[in-house]
Amino acid sequence: MKIKTEVLIIGGGATGVGISRDLALRGIPSVLIEKKDFASGASGRNHGLFHSGGRYAVSDPEAARECIAENRILRKIAPHCIEETDGLFVSLPEDGLNFRDKFLRACEEVEIQTTLLTRDETLELEPELNPNLLSAVKVPDGAIDPFALVLENAKDAEEHGAKILLHTEITSLILDGDKVKGAKVKDFLQGEEYLIEAPYIVNATGAWANQFLKRVGLHIGMALSKGSMLITNQRLNHSVINRCRPPSDGDIVVPNHTVSILGTTSIRLEEVEKFEVTPHEVSLLIQETSKMIPAIQEARFIRAYAGIRPLFQSEEKGNDRAISRGFVLIDHGKRDGIQNLITITGGKLMTHRLMAEKTSDLICEKMGRDVPCSTHLKPLPGSNRPTSLKERLEQFSTDQGETLCDCELIPRKEIEEVLGGEKLKDLQDILHRTRLAKGTCQGGFCVYRLFGVLHDLRMAEGDSNKILKGFLEERWKGIRPILWGIALKEEELIESIYKGIFNLTPTHPSPLEGEGEGGGAR
Amino acid sequence: MDKQISPKNNSDVCIRCATCMAVCPVSRVTPKFPGPKQAGPGTERFRRPGEPSVDEWIDLCIGCHLCDMVCSSGVNISELNLIAKAKYLDQKGRPFRDWLLTHSYLYGRIGSLFSPFANFLLRNSMVRWMVGAILRIDRRRELPGYESSTFRQWFRKHQFRGNHQGTFHSREKVEVDNPPSPPFRKGGMGGFEPHSKDRKKIAYFYGCYTNTNEVDVGKATVQVLEANGFEVALPAQRCCGIPMLGNGDFKGAKKMALYNVPSLLNTIRSGSDILFSSTSCGHMIKHEYSHLLSIPNAEEVAEHIFDIFEFLRNLIESNGLNAHFKELSIKAAYFAPCHLRALGIGLPVLEILRLIPGLKIDNIEADCCGMGGAFGFKKEKYEISQEIGRDLAEAIDRLKPEIILSDCEGCRMQIRHLTGLKVMHPIQILRDALL
Amino acid sequence: MHYDLIVIGMGLSGLMAAKTAAEAGQKVLIVGKGMGSLSLFSNSIDVIGLPPLMEPKTIKMEPHKQAPDVDTKVRWGKHPVPEGQFTHGQVSGPLGTGMKDGLSQWIKDHPEHPYAKVGLIKIEEALSSFLSLFPPPYSFQAIDNMNCLLPTGAGTLRPTYLIPTTMVGGISFDEEHTLIVGFKGFKDFYAHYVADQLKCRGITLSLPDVPNQEITATALARLMEKKSFRENIGREIKKQLQGETRVGFSALLGMHNPFQVKEDLEEIVGAKVFEIPILPPSIPGMRIFNRFKEWLIQKGVTFLLGYSVSKATLKGKRCERIEVFHPPVTTSYSADRYILATGRFMGGGLKADMEKVFEPIFNLPLSQPPSREGWFRNSFFSDLPHPIHQVGILIDSSFRPVDEREEPILENVRVAGSILAHHHYIDEKSREGIEIATGYMAAKRASGS
Repeated sequence: MKIKTEVLIIGGGATGVGISRDLALRGIPSVLIEKKDFASGASGRNHGLFHSGGRYAVSDPEAARECIAENRILRKIAPHCIEETDGLFVSLPEDGLNFRDKFLRACEEVEIQTTLLTRDETLELEPELNPNLLSAVKVPDGAIDPFALVLENAKDAEEHGAKILLHTEITSLILDGDKVKGAKVKDFLQGEEYLIEAPYIVNATGAWANQFLKRVGLHIGMALSKGSMLITNQRLNHSVINRCRPPSDGDIVVPNHTVSILGTTSIRLEEVEKFEVTPHEVSLLIQETSKMIPAIQEARFIRAYAGIRPLFQSEEKGNDRAISRGFVLIDHGKRDGIQNLITITGGKLMTHRLMAEKTSDLICEKMGRDVPCSTHLKPLPGSNRPTSLKERLEQFSTDQGETLCDCELIPRKEIEEVLGGEKLKDLQDILHRTRLAKGTCQGGFCVYRLFGVLHDLRMAEGDSNKILKGFLEERWKGIRPILWGIALKEEELIESIYKGIFNLTPTHPSPLEGEGEGGGAR
Repeated sequence: MDKQISPKNNSDVCIRCATCMAVCPVSRVTPKFPGPKQAGPGTERFRRPGEPSVDEWIDLCIGCHLCDMVCSSGVNISELNLIAKAKYLDQKGRPFRDWLLTHSYLYGRIGSLFSPFANFLLRNSMVRWMVGAILRIDRRRELPGYESSTFRQWFRKHQFRGNHQGTFHSREKVEVDNPPSPPFRKGGMGGFEPHSKDRKKIAYFYGCYTNTNEVDVGKATVQVLEANGFEVALPAQRCCGIPMLGNGDFKGAKKMALYNVPSLLNTIRSGSDILFSSTSCGHMIKHEYSHLLSIPNAEEVAEHIFDIFEFLRNLIESNGLNAHFKELSIKAAYFAPCHLRALGIGLPVLEILRLIPGLKIDNIEADCCGMGGAFGFKKEKYEISQEIGRDLAEAIDRLKPEIILSDCEGCRMQIRHLTGLKVMHPIQILRDALL
Repeated sequence: MHYDLIVIGMGLSGLMAAKTAAEAGQKVLIVGKGMGSLSLFSNSIDVIGLPPLMEPKTIKMEPHKQAPDVDTKVRWGKHPVPEGQFTHGQVSGPLGTGMKDGLSQWIKDHPEHPYAKVGLIKIEEALSSFLSLFPPPYSFQAIDNMNCLLPTGAGTLRPTYLIPTTMVGGISFDEEHTLIVGFKGFKDFYAHYVADQLKCRGITLSLPDVPNQEITATALARLMEKKSFRENIGREIKKQLQGETRVGFSALLGMHNPFQVKEDLEEIVGAKVFEIPILPPSIPGMRIFNRFKEWLIQKGVTFLLGYSVSKATLKGKRCERIEVFHPPVTTSYSADRYILATGRFMGGGLKADMEKVFEPIFNLPLSQPPSREGWFRNSFFSDLPHPIHQVGILIDSSFRPVDEREEPILENVRVAGSILAHHHYIDEKSREGIEIATGYMAAKRASGS
């Protein structure tokens, strides 16, 4: 099937989807293809930190300025994706107060509003902080739900005429002289193949930028930097806690719904596909963050995860942190002679809208159209799901239906809504769109129940137990790094349920075929 | 609520195994209560100190502690629930009815003083209907009647009487040969001089219900102790505070505790341990005063306060128990109250009563009676209380006993209400076997 | 307070140890928090689930017939079994030839396994002792003395050995003639999920009393015990039967009288009825626990449910006493002998910090991988068990804990249950068997036999 459009966007992260929305609001139709689900890259594996920009104020004032501007805009247009927690930059005795003073000045320079708090005032706000702290600076940080943000952008884009194809991968690019005419793609969900033709192509693939550019024989300097995070079982802090010192590992603890997320690290990687959280990173994160919040030493963790930051490198710089977080918009026409190809890379979640704006501006310029951006003005559609903890608890109290996820109090109704909505390819797609399985037992009970619901609704496809095993294996990646103490007890329970009661095994012979080796026993 | 009242939040250790769900009596009978797995550690992750409570169903937790007993991870679920309940009710406000139900100690004496009239009112169906409609105390629930003379009044007379003629079967006063502890002669049915200097002193915390509504329980306790060679004293005491605590009223409970602890401490420091016959009062004083209410010196009191049967069992070890029981051919069944289980002393009633010849005593295999103290009186909770009680009634029916024994006044009330059978405190049967 | 024996741990091994000692006339205290794995997984009794002990699928199963002299009107559990009715000699061993041979071979191949420490004869005695607690009508039986495959709540089949009466109808699963029944509002069992996986038919019934509401396992089990409820659902199922001869429910056919519930339903529905194991809590496991509790209390055992041992005081190689901390009071208990049956991580018998695994009460040595990295494999599912599952306490033939040189560490303390080393009950399908056999044996050894 042939699709003709004006812009082909590759990459369904915050940037790509942001561009799709921006163009749509300008009346420019586009098709976005994403090989997996929304936010499968860095957009779905970050700290969830809604920056004030304070973190960059001293080292990268430009980035900081961008950040605080976007901070204000996003608060207006996407309030339901953001929890306004404020943030604190805490000075511990070993940090001294020099950096803090530099910090205060720098924030003032870039117009980030700050309030200096005494030790007592700080502990009043956040009693779990290290009592030896010297002082803290309050900034307008917050916590953001990245998936919700991307999803909302996508919804708005589609409402204004954009087309988005998930689980769709390029099979081949169609080149024509100094232009990329289009792409042959395959939709792995529906099985359809498309030929998409567009006069302009945007590479918004984030860390996969070079994977894509290889197809046209191009390459950009990029560093892949892994950042690992640990999730605690309970929410330890209510505002974002930052360390008031030059950015380093283990500097930040972000509250997120029912948990706290400790981060992060910065480790160079060579490849984009295989990465995991190492024991060294686990120890490092606990060690560093517990200096700010002592309870972390004894805290229970429920998961570890990592994401890859795509960092554009225009020159060789040893320390990844020093490379600007600022984004880069590359016009491959000017740089490489491919006239209609643009790559947008670098940046962070906070500036996705700005990145999309600049990209869309460039596209408009190339098209010779003069349509202004309006993404900073129009609010995102929003959702009717309760977001705050209190609202979710209230919903639980009043709604007497089945609660599928005991840990995150997710009602069956919510799951049925998700299932009844857009077409979803697999279990992970469902899990992205709900907080089911994000709690204490990480899906130990509720994913089984989810399968039950799928079967009840006659929506189950394939061998559910095979998929369930796949889920358990995927879950294992996040659990294994934190298996000690209580988490280990939890795992014994999960293993006993799935390998014990349900007898799911590696070989998983179908019960009704022959006994195989030892029947269902091994 | 004070920060210092809330104990360290240990819901982090929950592994979501749902063992607690297997034993919760409330979630077994009504879907309105989500059960301990969600009610406690589950929703705790959602609660934030500064935010208002939305836990409308939290006061359905009956406080039986069964979930705590079976949690192998050590989550103190009932405590989490209680604190959430306290916050919710502090915010929502407690109706006058709750005040009435939890402050019965204030008007108990008046009830006793005017007992015929009070009892008439309590039994009158019109009055009960009105009380049901206005105060929402379920009219199907019998309200406990008052006795005309309180336990304290009896005890004063008892002390004054000295030789207790008429209280004991008449027998000769036997001289005590050795200054023993306890001073009775082996092999003989000794009569005792209750106030000789050779007797060991013991103090008794009787509890408000015993004082005004079931005086014979107190009498029996004193009589058994004296038959074992003890001299009983009554320290100054007020309501232990558990009715308030059960209603999430930490302030009210603390007020009672702050009165009781210094008085009991005095008694202890003057060399006398303290006994209780009501397992609810006992559990409150022994375990809740210290770590839940943070009353100073409560730990010292806890070291020296015992359940009467636990105490008697300890006497066996030192060969000090008066086991000269006469034969009682009765088929009895024993129901262990929730607070007794929560005391962690096993089932000493069974161990002692099994020594009585002729007495057939079965343990009733049921967990909670469903009364929950004031819980069972409330109109909106009555049905739940009865459903839980139904399982107990069925267990009793399987045994077909003549009489039922239980150490908690709430359980006794409930069992009478459910079965109409004769229900006593085990100390009363023990006294009957001794004298 | 002084006892002959203190059993630490309320799981199946602790309960068996307490029963064994009480039968020998000992004064026993059993103390523990929780119910071990009984409330979580024990639906039937596994002994050893590995080949060649599988009953071939072709055996046609006869409906289980009650022995003619069994009084089916006796409510299960109402009368404790009189002494001597089910002693070892009288019951023809629960291990038929098949299982006996299989176990013998297993013991030969795994001389360090807990079963090897018990020995075939004693394993059989232990199982008999367990079975004696469950006289008909709610009893456990082996079918043709081989493992059977029973359907599970995930629509898989699972091998097990001693099967309670209420699950017997599920053996030799017959997809053409089986109907799976679920209940709307009960979220731990899904009839269509099970049916789709097992390729049979499933239906979901609505519960009139609980429209749109969630119902817990215990609430549903309780409803099952009401005759009117059974009649309602029975009639509904009968209407919806399409020639099926077996009906499978989630495992909650009542807590107190499951046999009555099953019989009733079978009569009303006109088909065999059986239970299917589901997510925790396990109602069948609770039946086992309640039965033990009833029996032990009747026998005069001091039953301290709800408390964990905080400290053990040792003098040389002897344990003098244990302490139970129930804030703010610490109570001491002493005994001549002790049995440690505290389970693995779930029960708190083993603990792990970031570096090592340890046993918290007696600080018994554990041979373990050198670092946390070696505890678990990279995949959740793998052919070999995770190394951490092999970590446990080493014992001698008297069940006393030993060090690497096989010297006993403690003279009057014995160890039983899953905390022992050298087994992997999940893969072996041997959990209950190990718990029963070692609990029994440790108590036997403790009382000097």
